[in-house]
Amino acid sequence: MRQVTVLASAVDSSVELVTRACRGDMGAFEDLYRQHVGRVYGLCLRMTGQPESAEDLTQDTFVSAWRSLPGYEGRSSFSTWLHRIAVNAVLAKRRSPQGRNEVSMTDEIGEQMDFEAESTMDEATPIDIERAIAALPPGARDIVVLHGIYGYSHEEAAAMLGVAVGTCKAQLHRARHLMRGRMGSEART
Amino acid sequence: MNTIPFGPRNEPDPLLAKAAELPKDVAPARDLWPSIAARIAGEPQQARSRSFGWPAALAAGFLVASVSALLTWGLMRDTDPAQPPPVVIAERVGTAIVPVSYGPNSGLTSKEIVARDDLLARFQERFTELKPETREAIQKNLAIIQAAANEIDAALAKDPASGMLKSLLVGAYKQELQLYSTVVTSSDGFTRRT
Repeated sequence: MRQVTVLASAVDSSVELVTRACRGDMGAFEDLYRQHVGRVYGLCLRMTGQPESAEDLTQDTFVSAWRSLPGYEGRSSFSTWLHRIAVNAVLAKRRSPQGRNEVSMTDEIGEQMDFEAESTMDEATPIDIERAIAALPPGARDIVVLHGIYGYSHEEAAAMLGVAVGTCKAQLHRARHLMRGRMGSEART
Repeated sequence: MNTIPFGPRNEPDPLLAKAAELPKDVAPARDLWPSIAARIAGEPQQARSRSFGWPAALAAGFLVASVSALLTWGLMRDTDPAQPPPVVIAERVGTAIVPVSYGPNSGLTSKEIVARDDLLARFQERFTELKPETREAIQKNLAIIQAAANEIDAALAKDPASGMLKSLLVGAYKQELQLYSTVVTSSDGFTRRT
């Protein structure tokens, strides 16, 4: 019961902060930033595998959110709304000439195998799951991050990524296969 | 056990279960707020009362599709002197073409714009050979696509996460390419056969 009360209180607080930020209250927006930066940065970092890019994209996400706050109608949670902006920012960067130098394009059907991410995540990170995800090709990695880590449904993840639900499922299948191979080979070494 | 079950749909996947246990929050190495605050300081938010929204963007997308389809039909059909062209021209028609300008929220990449400009160069070679009424129709179509791109871009500024708005924007971009491509590949509507 106490957990429910705490959760409701947090939601109310977030709604109030969003309302104030919509009116141009930068202090309220900073509080929202403090509440959500970890999840936004985590999402960007896991989708890009590049801490510097993730920082830039996190900044872009919050700047874009600030500009667009008056258009936020509360149809989804503020956190989900921020995540959608962040995913769009990551995908736009990946399509840019600069982004293409860093990673290959997300393919539609998951056949592309030319990408081999060398994650710059902290080497102290347990080698298992986090690094296996970072080594995935972008399309497969995206769905593991959104669906596997952040808990979005295939439908929600597909909408965020601008692909068909079937593509998401195929990418997840492929990701599991690749991760199994990678983790299996590392376990043998 | 070194295998991941792919069979039964509802069987829990140990890898995904592990992924779900990872921390959702990751703290950046430095505080990003000062940079964000500097960027948004003094920057006005989009006005809530701005008239552009979903209905306008959807209408714009539909109009682009309809009118461009009409143009394509007009270019591709055999010329019938008894029938007026789909868009009637009343004034002198120039040969200047202003390609569609996509706004800052479009997300179009420089590669996509370069691809458009390559096609535009070939289109412009043929444009001057078109009949005046065809040129006018094309210019009107481009103006419609431009208006649609403006409205969708404004709607995207309000809702930058909207996948549907981005699809509409890409649709406008594709209509522009389709328009150029139709002219480049068509043998109709020219003042002289090439």
